[in-house]
Amino acid sequence: MNTPQPPQWAKTLLRWLHPQNTIEEVEGDLDELYTYWYARSGRSRAILRYLLNVMSVIPPFVRKRKSKTSYDQPFFLNPDMLKNYFKIAWRNIVRQKAYSVLNIAGLSIGMACSILILLWVQNELSYDRFHKHADQIVRLTCNAGDFRAAVSPAGMARGLQTQLPQIEAGTRLSKPVTMLLEVGEKKLEEKRVFFADSNFLQVFSFPVLRGNAATALQDPGALLVTEEMAEKYFGTQDVLGKTIRVNNKENFTVAGVLANTPSNSHLQFDFIIPMKTLAKTDWDLKTDTWGNFNFYTYFRLDDQAAASIPARQKLAKRIVDIHKKHVKALNVGFQLQPLTDIHLHSDLQIDLPGHGNIQYVNIFFVVAIFILMVACINFMNLATARSERRAKEVGLRKVVGAGRYQLVFQFLGESLIFSFLSLFIAICIVYLMLPIFTMLTEKTLAIHLLDGKILMSLVGIAVLTGLISGSYPALFLSGFAPVKVLKGKMRVAGGNLIFRNALVVTQFVVAIVLLVGTTVVYRQLDFIKKRNLGFDKSNLLYMPMTGEIWGKQQALKTALAQNPFTEHFSIISDLPTALISGTIEVFWDGQTSPNQVVFPNLNVDENFVDVFKTKVLAGRGFTSTFTGDSSNYMINEKAMQIMGLNLGNAVGKNLTFGDEKGTIIGVVKDFHFKSLQYAMEPLILRLNKWGGVVMVRTEPDNNEETILALEKINRQLNPAYPFTFGFLDKDLDNLYRTEQQMGGIFNLFAGLAIFISCLGLYGLSAFMAEQRTKEIGVRKVLGATVTGVVTLLSRDFLKLILIAIVLAAPIAWYAMTRWLQSFAYQTNFEWWVIALAGMLATAIALLTISFQTIKAALMNPVKSLRSE
Amino acid sequence: MRRTYLGEFEELVLLMIAILDGQAYGVTVSQEIERHAGRVVTFGAVHNTLIRLEEKGFVSSELGGATTERGGRRKRLFRVTALGNRALADIQQMRDKLWQLMPDNTLRTSTL
Repeated sequence: MNTPQPPQWAKTLLRWLHPQNTIEEVEGDLDELYTYWYARSGRSRAILRYLLNVMSVIPPFVRKRKSKTSYDQPFFLNPDMLKNYFKIAWRNIVRQKAYSVLNIAGLSIGMACSILILLWVQNELSYDRFHKHADQIVRLTCNAGDFRAAVSPAGMARGLQTQLPQIEAGTRLSKPVTMLLEVGEKKLEEKRVFFADSNFLQVFSFPVLRGNAATALQDPGALLVTEEMAEKYFGTQDVLGKTIRVNNKENFTVAGVLANTPSNSHLQFDFIIPMKTLAKTDWDLKTDTWGNFNFYTYFRLDDQAAASIPARQKLAKRIVDIHKKHVKALNVGFQLQPLTDIHLHSDLQIDLPGHGNIQYVNIFFVVAIFILMVACINFMNLATARSERRAKEVGLRKVVGAGRYQLVFQFLGESLIFSFLSLFIAICIVYLMLPIFTMLTEKTLAIHLLDGKILMSLVGIAVLTGLISGSYPALFLSGFAPVKVLKGKMRVAGGNLIFRNALVVTQFVVAIVLLVGTTVVYRQLDFIKKRNLGFDKSNLLYMPMTGEIWGKQQALKTALAQNPFTEHFSIISDLPTALISGTIEVFWDGQTSPNQVVFPNLNVDENFVDVFKTKVLAGRGFTSTFTGDSSNYMINEKAMQIMGLNLGNAVGKNLTFGDEKGTIIGVVKDFHFKSLQYAMEPLILRLNKWGGVVMVRTEPDNNEETILALEKINRQLNPAYPFTFGFLDKDLDNLYRTEQQMGGIFNLFAGLAIFISCLGLYGLSAFMAEQRTKEIGVRKVLGATVTGVVTLLSRDFLKLILIAIVLAAPIAWYAMTRWLQSFAYQTNFEWWVIALAGMLATAIALLTISFQTIKAALMNPVKSLRSE
Repeated sequence: MRRTYLGEFEELVLLMIAILDGQAYGVTVSQEIERHAGRVVTFGAVHNTLIRLEEKGFVSSELGGATTERGGRRKRLFRVTALGNRALADIQQMRDKLWQLMPDNTLRTSTL
C-alpha cells in the first residue's frame, strides 16, 4: 500500500452515520483529502483534520441530499383533491347507510350527552362569579371542634373591620326569615326574606333596577323587592314608594327593585330589609355580641389578603386571636371561605340551603368524557373493521401517487365530516332534551349558540372527537402496502384485531362501571329512605306556629285535644329534619374537662315520646304531673356516651345547659334529627315552654280530615294568617334531593353510554358475520346447526365482555366505596352488584349481537357459496 | 421571477465551481477555497453548501471520474447552471453599480 489510509474506526463511524445516498462520494473525497493533508503536514495532523472533517459530515451537522422524484405530487389541499375527498366521503356515507347511521347516531348521542353534562358543570362552576369583586369576597365561618357552621356573631363584622386594615368592607346577612306580606287583597307567606346591612349592595353586585343602590338599605322601614315579587304583589315594576304590610302590624316602603336573583347565586332572596329594622328588637344586634352565632358575615378583602390561601389563613388566624381576646370563655375557630367556594366546597351546618357538591361536578365531568370516549371508540372500531372495503381505494390512491400524509388527511377529514354532522344533530338533540334535563336538575340551563365561548367549545368538541376517532383509522388505512392490497391478499392483521378488541373491552368496562354506579347510588338512596330514624316518620303532619297562635297556646292545645283527628299532637321547637341550634356550654356531674362538643337541643312537650314513637331507654319522659319538669332534661344515647354515663347511672345526674341547671330524668334512644350525611350527634331535650311547630300523628286514611281540622283551628285562633302545613316524611325526603337528582342523571347517562356501546357492538357483529359468510356457509353444508353457528359467532364477543367484567370490578369497587364514604350511614358494597351488572351487560351485548348472528346462521348456504 | 439570495459562503463556493469548470467536486472546491481565499473550512461545510446550491438550482451534478486513490469510488462533479451563471452575473452587476455610487472621499478614507 503506497497511499496512506486514515484510521479504520473513523471510516466505520462515517459509513455508519452518514446518509446512504451520499456516502460514496463523501468517503472518496475524504480519502483524497487525507492523502493531500498527509503529504502536506504529516500523519498526526492529517489524522486530526480527518477526524474533524468526519465529524462535520455526520448528523446533526450534515445536510441530507433529497432524492429526486420524477413527478410532482399535487398539494394535498389542492381544490381538486378536496373536491375528490368530499365526493368520496359523501359516496361512502350514502352507499353504506346502515353503517353511517350507526356511526352518526352513536357520535351525536354521545356528543349531546357531553354537551348537556358540560352545560350543567359550567353552571355549577359559575356560581357567584358574576359579582364584580367575586375574587375578593370571603365568608366568615366558624367551628367548634368538628362542628363547622356558616354563621358568625353579629358584632364581629364591624369589630374586625376596625382592627384589620386588610378588610375593605364587611356586610352581614340574617338567616332567612319567614314573613307574612300583604298588599291589598294579596296576603302570602314569604320564606326568602333577609335582613342585610346597608352596604350589602356595595359588596355584592346584585343589579338594582329601580331605586338608589347606595341609599336603599339605609332607612329602617324600607324594603327591597325583586322584579318577580314586584310583579307578583303589585302587577307592575313601578313600585317605588308603595307600601307592603308585614306580619299584620308594620308597613314597609319599597325602596328599590332588584333584578331576580341569578340562579347561579348561593344567596337566593325575594326581599331584603335593612338590618336597622331588625336592630330595633334583636338582642344580638343591640349588644353587638361576639358570643352568639346567628348571622352570615361577608368581607371584601384587599387584593393581597384575598390573593392566596396562606394569606387568607393568616388573616383567619388573627381573627381567631382577636376573638379570643374578646370572648375568653369560648374556644372557637374561624375560617375565611372564598365566595366562589361556597356553592361547591361547603359542607357547613346552619348554612343557606341549595348547595352543590364538587364531587358530583367531578364525577359528571368524568362521565361526560367517558361517554364521548365510548362514542369515539365506536367510530374507530367500525372504521377499522370496515378497512378491508376501502383497502382497494387506498391501494389505488397510492399507486397513482398519493403520499401517506395525503391519505391521513383524507381519512381525518372524513371523520371530521362525520363529527360535524353529528355535532349538528347533537345540538338538535340538546334543544329537545333541555326541558327534560332542566326538570331533572331543577336548574335553568340554556345553550346560547351565538355566545362565542360556547360556540368555540362546541366546535372544539367536534374537532377533538373527529381527530381522536379518525386518528387510528387514518394511520391504519394509510399504512397499507399497495401491492398486497391490490393483489387481494389483505387479511385483517392480528395487531389490528387486538387493538379493536381492546377498544371493545374499554367500552364495556365503562358501561359496567356506570351500571354498578347506578345500582349503588340507588341502593344507597333506598337505604337512606328506609333507614329507621329512631322515630316513626310516616303520617306525621306539621303546622308551624305563626302570628297570633304564639299567644294562644293554651287555647290551641285545648282545640287540638278536642278534635279526634288532631288529638295525637305534640308541640316541639323545631322539625327534626335539620336542627340548627346548639351550644358547647354544657356541664354535667363528673365532668373532667371543659366540653368541646356541640350539643344541639330540641324543646319537646309531654306527648313527644308517644307521638313520635321514640323509645325511652331509662328513666321517664316529660309528664304534666311533675311540676318540676320545666328544669329537667332528657338526653339521647349519644349525649350519654359523651358524658361518660351509662343507662344505669345517667338518670338523676345534674346537667347545666347554658345557664339553666337541671336534672337528667330520662335517656331516649338515638333518633336522627339531621340529614343522614351527618353522624349521630348528642341531643338535649327540654320541656317546651315556647311553642314552635305543632306535630300531629294522623291515621293513613284521614289525612284530609286532619288537614281540614287543623285549618279550622288556624282560622279560629289565627284568622289573619294563612294556613300552612307539611308532611314530615316529605321534608325528610327533600333532604336527599341532590342525591336523588344525581341518581336520576347518573341513571340516564349510564343508560345512554350502554346504548352507544350497543350501537357499536351491533355494527361490529354485523361486520363479523358478513366477513364469515362463506365460512358459515361451508359449516352449514357440513352439518352445523343454527345454535352451533350462533355460539361460534358469539363466543368471541363473550370473551371480551368477560375480560371487561374482570377489569371493571376493582375500578367500580374503588369508585363506589369512595362515594359511599361521604355518607355517615352507608349500605355495604355487595359483590353481587358487580355480578349483576356484569350479567346485565352480557345479556344486553348478547341480545345486540344476536340480531346479526341469528340472521347469519339462518342464511341459506346456497346463497353464500354460490359466487365461488 | 423570484430571486433566490446567495449567502456569502454560497457565493464563494459557486464562484469556485465556475472557476474549476467541470472539475469541481468536494476536494477541489475545498482546496481552491483554501488556496484563493486563505480560509480553512471543514469538508462538511463545503458538502452542505454544494447540496444546498443544487437544491436552489444554481448547480447541477453527476457522478463519475472514479480513480484508484479514491479506492475506486466515484466523485460527484458539479457544474454551474444557467440560473447559477445569471445569479453570479447579477451579483457582480449590483456590486459594480454600488461601487460607482460610492463618493470618492469614502473610498479614500477607507483605504487609508
